[in-house]
Amino acid sequence: MTEPLFQISDLSLALPDMARKPLLGRAPRIEILKQVSFELAQGAITGIVGESGSGKTTLGRVLVRLLAPTAGRVMFKGRDIGQLDEAALKPLRRDLQMIFQDPLSSLNPRHTVGRIVATPLERYGVDKARRRAQEALERVGLPGAFAKRYPHELSGGQRQRVGIARAVALEPAFILADEVVSGLDVSSQARVLALLKELAADMNLTIAFISHDLSVIRSLCDAVVVLDRGAIVEAGPCGQVFDAPQSLVTRQLIDAIPLPEIDDSWFDKAAVAGGAC
Amino acid sequence: MSRQPTPAAPTLQVEGLSVAVRGGPALLRAVSLTVQPGEVRALVGESGAGKSMIGKAVLGVLPRGIEQTAGSIRLQDTALETLRSAARRQTVAAVASLIPQDPLTALNPSRRIGGQITDRLVRRLGWGAGDAQRRALELLDRVSIRDPERVMAAYPHELSGGMRQRVLIAAAFAPRPSLIVADEPTTALDVTVQKQILTLIRELQAETGTAVLFVTHDMGVVAKISQTVTVLFDGKVMEEAPTAQLLARPSHPYTRALIAATPRYTHPHEPLRPVPDELVARLHQEVAQDDAGFR
Repeated sequence: MTEPLFQISDLSLALPDMARKPLLGRAPRIEILKQVSFELAQGAITGIVGESGSGKTTLGRVLVRLLAPTAGRVMFKGRDIGQLDEAALKPLRRDLQMIFQDPLSSLNPRHTVGRIVATPLERYGVDKARRRAQEALERVGLPGAFAKRYPHELSGGQRQRVGIARAVALEPAFILADEVVSGLDVSSQARVLALLKELAADMNLTIAFISHDLSVIRSLCDAVVVLDRGAIVEAGPCGQVFDAPQSLVTRQLIDAIPLPEIDDSWFDKAAVAGGAC
Repeated sequence: MSRQPTPAAPTLQVEGLSVAVRGGPALLRAVSLTVQPGEVRALVGESGAGKSMIGKAVLGVLPRGIEQTAGSIRLQDTALETLRSAARRQTVAAVASLIPQDPLTALNPSRRIGGQITDRLVRRLGWGAGDAQRRALELLDRVSIRDPERVMAAYPHELSGGMRQRVLIAAAFAPRPSLIVADEPTTALDVTVQKQILTLIRELQAETGTAVLFVTHDMGVVAKISQTVTVLFDGKVMEEAPTAQLLARPSHPYTRALIAATPRYTHPHEPLRPVPDELVARLHQEVAQDDAGFR
């Protein structure tokens, strides 16, 4: 068993709550993540699941160090990167890549696909950036002339594959994928999921896959972390968590999945709680 | 015009509906479907298949530059194409409602919730202000909003996404419509909130006998909410069947491919299969041949 790529312990994050900031003076702080501890195994795909507002995205942003934790440790390759400043993070950035939810707004509309993928390679001084970009595009199934096209000329699934090519071209150790298939059709979704699985296996990539769709997480991920209001309620291998969920939150999430089969009792199991604001 | 009279008069009867970009490509190709009173019909297909376009054509809100080129839409025995635009708007407003996909953009951010529910009742349908107010409160209560008076006075940004979708469901059911077009109403929501919203739509629909045209790309949602399904590809109907039958024994290869591409929570180790490129190419070819045949 190799050492985990990430070891997170007692991670907490509080941010100023601007909605409740008084006219003069400081905004009160609101705790978004509360003493979160978990590991991301090398080469594994770990799902991060929870309702909106549970802190999934914030947790992801701490992993790629777009946010710094208020307390706790973020051990990456055996080193605490939680409080490193930008200069110290710079050499690590290449290893911490990200794929975004909305591929259209995360790709520069005025650049060709080839340039979009090549730019980060050039920034990191990689030799033959254009050729490497072309190879990365072939890798994700967008060969040849795709490099000359612009993002608006592609379908949603193809755009998402450009985002993946941009991330994997840098040969990172870690990729954060934040709701990357939620805007896609089932067919494009199936393609993107298969691609992520294949890349993770071939490149020994460690992936944190944020999603609210448990069916997707179960079919893609090796392990899963369930968040509720900023705290981990359950974590472990997918088989274990989904076959024998221990927490009420996990069970509620599972019960809410509309399975593609006729089941009239599904609605009866619904606890239609009053609309909470 | 109806060639096949059905026992009960359908709430919505669409026959041979074609819609195209003016001087450009076809978006719907001779689509026919009916929705009976009390029936929920799901419209499924990938993006660009024309699911939402059918709803827009029915409601008379086709985007600028897109027009109906053939076919008829009967809403409760009124052939909409025989009406002038003002009369058509009036008829549609009295009979049909929309539950939109994105509850944030569908609400005017600068107006209080109450007026956004009562406006249509008062201005279009001639209700008294008091009646409209009472109806709005009744519906907000029905969709499990705890403090309806406070929500009536609130602005959209003060509500969560799930609450806003409840408000829009209340607004859609308020005028007692015969038909509701629900255009991916839960796509932007979490699974647990989605389940609450689907439950509400189902309950209200069953209570009122409203017919629903439910646009979705999620086969799971189809299974839970609908009795019948129409599967679309590139503006053309591929298959139509009762939901249970379609899921158990899909007869069209495209339907089978859509189901095979859907991740199934209960079968995590089955590989996901995208809709095969050869099938997509073949279907596009068939559609093109049909188009040529029409000319």
